Amino acid sequence: MSGHHISTDKTLLGVAGALLVLTVLTVVVHYLHLPNPWSIIVAMAVAVAKASLVALFFMNLYWDERFNLMLFLASIAFLALLVGFTLLDTLFRPEVIPGF
Amino acid sequence: MANHSTSTHSQFFQHHFVDAEQQFDAAKMGMWVFLVTEILFFGGLFAAYIVYRLWYPELFVMASEELNTLWGGVNTIVLIGSSLTVAMAIKSAQLNQKRNIAINLGITIALAAIFMVIKYFEWTHKFHLGIFPGEFYAFDGIDHPKANVFFSLYYLMTGLHGIHVVIGIGLMVWLLLRSMKGHFDSEYYTPVEITGLYWHLVDIIWIFLFPLFYLID
Repeated sequence: MSGHHISTDKTLLGVAGALLVLTVLTVVVHYLHLPNPWSIIVAMAVAVAKASLVALFFMNLYWDERFNLMLFLASIAFLALLVGFTLLDTLFRPEVIPGF
Repeated sequence: MANHSTSTHSQFFQHHFVDAEQQFDAAKMGMWVFLVTEILFFGGLFAAYIVYRLWYPELFVMASEELNTLWGGVNTIVLIGSSLTVAMAIKSAQLNQKRNIAINLGITIALAAIFMVIKYFEWTHKFHLGIFPGEFYAFDGIDHPKANVFFSLYYLMTGLHGIHVVIGIGLMVWLLLRSMKGHFDSEYYTPVEITGLYWHLVDIIWIFLFPLFYLID
């Protein structure tokens, strides 16, 4: 645990390579036109995997003080609250759509 | 306890910190707290996106056809490359390779500029077709009464992201000038480190924007 972890070129290039492969993968899957809802599930799973790689190895959360990881995870938890409680309203309206 | 003699020789060490280590950790934690507010800032728009996509799923499939997957993909790769070079700049500072800091920052600025140029052509192409946000929407190629909603979200989310890229370019230029003055080395590279964190978050936001707008079917 240190805020000064020095990544090797091998690690950095490996992570960037993995991000490139995942980007190509998500575009290829798009053109396969998977049946609903698998298209969005695969696309989001790939995006979460890419974001995790960036956060852990480019933003160094893997080696950093655990407090910073906690801050990052807390922001995601609060985002989930925001989306979750909003959907409790918008998904269950009798008159579904507003004028806009 | 407080040992004022350890690594306090950097000209950028501020007296109200115990040592350079504490100064570094405090700056980094402060940046993470800011990134939390950024995630929730963008989060409001992502929430709006989710609400509208669940209301009008067919609209998102139709309207996404107007976005060019190739250029969206190229921009994704450009931003991944720029994240790599920022990480390389930090590593160069940690290893005291002062010239490499400037080189990597320079490449990062170039990649960020390429991203914005591609975004500029994407936007102006749509303006040409009459695809404007909200009530200014004047395109009849999409057979859906709420087609403007998709593009309002598109312009707001890619626009806010673009503003972050432009601010990032400004920060990188500032870092580049300071690195050329020799301000950064293994003892002190806090600005490179925390600007890097900001830049990686901008990359993460785009990693989600790309499939959410360009890859819908």
